[in-house]
Amino acid sequence: MAGRPELVFAGTDGGAVTEIDDYVARGGFAALAKARAMDPDEVIAAVEASGLRGRGGAFFPTGRKWTFVPKPETVPKPHDLVVNADESEPGTFKDREIMLRVPFRFLEGCLIAAYAISARHVFVYIRGEYEREFEVLRSALEQMRARDLLGEVTVVLHRGAGAYICGEETALLESLEGKRGQPRTKPPFPAVAGLYAAPTAVNNVESIATVTVVLEVGPEEYAQIGVPGSTGTRVFSLSGNVVNPGNYELPHGITLRELIYDIGGGIPNGRALKAIIPGGSSTPILTADDIDTKLDFESLAAAGSSIGSAGVIVIDDRCCMVQLGIRVSQFYEHESCGKCTPCRVGTRWLTQILEKIEEGRAEQADLDLLLSVCDRILGKCLCPLGDSDAIAVASYVSRFREEFQAHVDLGRCPFDGASSLEGILAPSAMHERLPVSVPVSA
Amino acid sequence: MSENGLVTVTVDERTVQVPKGTGLVETAQAAGIEIPVFCYEPRLGPPVGACRMCLVEVEGMPKLQAGCTLTAQDGMVVRTAATSPMAAEGQEATLELILVNHPLDCPVCDKGGECPLQDLTFRYGPGTTRMRFAKLTVEKPIPLSPLVALDRERCILCYRCTRFSEEVAEDGLLIARNRGAHTEIATFEDEPYRSPFSGNVIELCPVGALTSTLYRFDARPWEIQNVPTVCTGCAVGCNVSATIREGKVRRILSRNHPEIDRGWLCDKGRFSYPSLRAADRISVPLRRGPRGLEEVSWEVALDTAEELLRESRGAIVTALSGSETTELAYALGKLLRRGLDAHSAVLPEATSSALDAFRLPLSAIAEAELVVVVGDDPVVERAPIVDLWMKEARRRGAEIVVCSPVGDVQVAPGHAAEWCRELAEPGSELGARIRSAERAILIWSGPGGGGGARLAELAYALGLHERPGSGAFHLPATPNGRGVAAAWSAAADVDETNPEPIKLLVVSGDEAAADPSVRALAEQSERTLVIAMFHGLAGGWADLVLPATGALEREGTVMNLEGRVQRLRRAAMPPCPDELTWIAELAGRFGVELSPHPAVVYEEAASILYRDLSLAAIGLRAGLPGRAPYEAPAPATTKAPMVEPSRRDERFVGELRLQRVRTLFSGPAVERVPELAFQRAPAEIELSPAEAERRGVTTGDRVHVRSNGISVELRARVNRKLVDGVARIADEHAGDLHAAVEVVRA
Amino acid sequence: MSAGLRERIEEVRALYPEPRSAILPALRLAQEEHGGWLPPAALREVADALDLTPAICAAVASFYDQLHLEPVGRHLVEVCTNVSCALVGAQEVVEAFERELGIAAGSTTEDGEVTLATVECLGGCGWATVVAVDNRHRLRVAAEDVPAIVEELRSGGAT
Repeated sequence: MAGRPELVFAGTDGGAVTEIDDYVARGGFAALAKARAMDPDEVIAAVEASGLRGRGGAFFPTGRKWTFVPKPETVPKPHDLVVNADESEPGTFKDREIMLRVPFRFLEGCLIAAYAISARHVFVYIRGEYEREFEVLRSALEQMRARDLLGEVTVVLHRGAGAYICGEETALLESLEGKRGQPRTKPPFPAVAGLYAAPTAVNNVESIATVTVVLEVGPEEYAQIGVPGSTGTRVFSLSGNVVNPGNYELPHGITLRELIYDIGGGIPNGRALKAIIPGGSSTPILTADDIDTKLDFESLAAAGSSIGSAGVIVIDDRCCMVQLGIRVSQFYEHESCGKCTPCRVGTRWLTQILEKIEEGRAEQADLDLLLSVCDRILGKCLCPLGDSDAIAVASYVSRFREEFQAHVDLGRCPFDGASSLEGILAPSAMHERLPVSVPVSA
Repeated sequence: MSENGLVTVTVDERTVQVPKGTGLVETAQAAGIEIPVFCYEPRLGPPVGACRMCLVEVEGMPKLQAGCTLTAQDGMVVRTAATSPMAAEGQEATLELILVNHPLDCPVCDKGGECPLQDLTFRYGPGTTRMRFAKLTVEKPIPLSPLVALDRERCILCYRCTRFSEEVAEDGLLIARNRGAHTEIATFEDEPYRSPFSGNVIELCPVGALTSTLYRFDARPWEIQNVPTVCTGCAVGCNVSATIREGKVRRILSRNHPEIDRGWLCDKGRFSYPSLRAADRISVPLRRGPRGLEEVSWEVALDTAEELLRESRGAIVTALSGSETTELAYALGKLLRRGLDAHSAVLPEATSSALDAFRLPLSAIAEAELVVVVGDDPVVERAPIVDLWMKEARRRGAEIVVCSPVGDVQVAPGHAAEWCRELAEPGSELGARIRSAERAILIWSGPGGGGGARLAELAYALGLHERPGSGAFHLPATPNGRGVAAAWSAAADVDETNPEPIKLLVVSGDEAAADPSVRALAEQSERTLVIAMFHGLAGGWADLVLPATGALEREGTVMNLEGRVQRLRRAAMPPCPDELTWIAELAGRFGVELSPHPAVVYEEAASILYRDLSLAAIGLRAGLPGRAPYEAPAPATTKAPMVEPSRRDERFVGELRLQRVRTLFSGPAVERVPELAFQRAPAEIELSPAEAERRGVTTGDRVHVRSNGISVELRARVNRKLVDGVARIADEHAGDLHAAVEVVRA
Repeated sequence: MSAGLRERIEEVRALYPEPRSAILPALRLAQEEHGGWLPPAALREVADALDLTPAICAAVASFYDQLHLEPVGRHLVEVCTNVSCALVGAQEVVEAFERELGIAAGSTTEDGEVTLATVECLGGCGWATVVAVDNRHRLRVAAEDVPAIVEELRSGGAT
């Protein structure tokens, strides 16, 4: 789409820049040079002034997060930058494209951030399933090392091994310390006691790549893009029942209609739009009536949802919302770390109640029980994972109450086996049906 | 915040002042209010906030907070379930979810009646369940080890046990495996949980998931009594409660003395009690007759004892165990010394009071910045709880330097005293670090050393007596060696004589009876009188055996390795009269006035030994006397092993020096508890990598260990840390091997 | 343990301030060495190389989906069935693999060649259905693409 201000993906012409010479020819590493000529506090101030907020899902102001990291003179322990590249939120696949297409912009951002918080170590925690992304970053890092761009900073590319929860920052730190990826209680926050109990900033890939952009274009310029409170561009991941799924870098504040219809080409096969999950599977669902909602923090909050990780899942009218609830709940059940009671037990219970409803065995009381169990999870867990399940499922009931009711009233699924999610086999169900693998001979 | 460092917190409208940083659970407690918990246990490190039982409402915070993870801040306003409907709902929610998969098999659960899950459900939980689905079920119970049974259905995954394993015992053996709802407590490949401290997880478990195999189905909580006493498994003197039902000891629990044990026990202390009911327990006197030892009446036994003593006057030697109560040793001493001029006694090790000038509670080790251990034996084998204190010190940042045959600094066996002299030299780098440390702790862990005298000399040379945070500990082999030695010497004011020949050897206790050097002494003696609990030990060579009682059957006092006098209480009735009753009776026959009552004997001994420290002053949790002025160590109160085993042949020159390691899980009591067998030392010989290579031996090989015609076959293990020139074997597997051995592949 | 494996574990160990941080890369290396899964011996080797206990290695390995504590086939086919893939036909892809391989998802072919599993979101929602074949992602896989993929695996083409 013409006129779209690409910032994170600037200079790629729709492709990838994986050779350092190409990147330098396009002005690469100028931002790093600019930053290193500034005082670290000035770098932080610039990022604060840009209005950049965390792109991982929590939307916390990036610059302010860095101000919480104590100055090296007050806490002499080594400071660390940990980059959360454990992108696992269903519906979200933007960080992988950033790493694949603009690895240098991302790594440049790592060095700028490390400079800002006086970190000597940068750990990039890449989800284990991202093999090519790891290789691209490794190659980019080698090229940067050969050019002596790293200075005194050590960058370690650390691969995860398959656990959604490690996207939660404290679980990620535990995992990086070689433990089971279970979240820690906060406080202490990572800025004060993070990796190896040392001051640590944890930032998302897109946030870090955008730091480079902020230094390139200047914070004031950057803040002009988007809408107040949600400045700049966002890489939206568009998926589900849409003609042109993919990642699109767009300014905050465009509407769902523009994204889904103008850019995404609308719903395929002439089907009708039924629902939209706007920010990854953890965010409350919206209905077709919300199509003119703007994609920014405040507008989505006002619509009763959240911008989350900007993973927009489009759902057409073939989808049974109870089945959606089951599938989403199975995901959280599977990914629950098992540390805190409400999440470990509650996510599984939610799945069971939803399955009972889907099978037509539920009574009216089961609908109440479903919402009650959501309540008993919500706000009582150690980390946001359990809450995510409760929020998502409760939103399906509240937005599609009549559909849930129909399951109870009819004693069967009103879709009669025609739902787009019919029979979908989740790993958690697979585990219960059969072992994940069976012994092989020899 | 007020000037005195206190903050004011309001809990359920009650205002309380506590030091800033106090945990919220403790803060509420100070206000007399309960914040219920399962996973919270401050002794396991920082709170984890896993179970969510402690949800409270905190003013200014929109969501419920896990109270256990918060600390008191000035002006904080907290509402628990008592005054906050939101908190009450949250706690009920947690319990409903905890009970979703819990089997509710309380009627057949050992924990029933003393179960936090029952209690908290009663107080905060839902009255009914809305869970209509099949609960997760698994095979149960499974043995976590011969000592601990695991019921995974009852488990609420509070992670107390795994945190204990990882953060306290640091054994890395007990783990949580899998994820989410499938998480379960396990060991690697279901191997037994073999840690000297494994039993603590039973007490930590807030439900009936981890139970003692020795206690399972033994008693209901309303049928039992807990008797406060002190463990005599080693010289630490952990405070324990003995659970009694129908006059028998059913289990041992910790009784947290914060300066000594912090509520931890080793498995020897916790699980040795079944030895009281061992099949070979002696309950009636035995006299050697034409057909070996025969049961005799007490009347006959005492007449025989009187006759033996009378005929041997002036030629009697007493072999003490060091496990006697101070009262028992005093009574024996008074009978034998005042009544029969039998002043000569042997103890398994020397004792000394020289370290009293460097006295600290064991808990001070945790505060240390530098801990230096010297001696041949691992600390955990001699005084296991000291090992936990050292681990805590290391977690808090202390440096631990072990100078031993397998230490950070390699010191050959038998050279600890020499090493201490080196440390005292001005040129010693480590010595200099000890000198400059504010809080340095020295520990002697091994045989020799004059009962701490050599360490005291080092501590004095390094100036530790002048630093209140620094101190020194000697880890003796016997639980009450100092008390026994002091009591013996207090019993009469006459110098020792060594009779030659020995007409009668009096052997006090099973440890002495099992000691090869005592057996060698018995061979030199015309007759032997043995006081023992178990038949197997003295059966072969005693002329008269009088039944002994166990520490859990005794009233009395013992002095631990800190120099703290603690009180034993009779938890169970012994199957025989208490020693004091018949010692007093015999004393009377020799004109010696002696009370049969431990408290009276204590008063008499304490007037000499402890400046009239009263039993009441000792109390339930005994205090520690202050430091004594340093006096250069006098010769040891009793000589260290008076007689070397006569079979030693110095002419033989082997290739390696044998180091016999006295392991924790050994001795007469441990040997009588089959469930402890897996904890005992494997039949192994340890060699340094160089020595192993020289002999073409690798870990797992069978080897013959030989000395002068004696051969033992053992499994070899290469120990990367072991000093060259040494063959290291647990004492119980070293048989009759001599001091120098050769090792060849089998 | 092969000298090569120990050497590679030593290398990754050196990347981190604390040896334990190297546990995931070390387990991954050991898994590669042991034919795609971690038998007890592999856990012991990693424990030995990192000065940890085998139990700690098992605790960590069992937490992560990509580390396998049971044998898997020579090839591993993982079909994403999370929402975005499911909405556009992931189940048909799963069933096509089940038909072609003659096994149920969650099991391994009798000849030990291929393990088929469904997995949670692979982070390719816009390119549904995503199928990881030996950890390499195939994008926009439709049911009709499955026979060719299976043929490729059977003829030893992949990996």
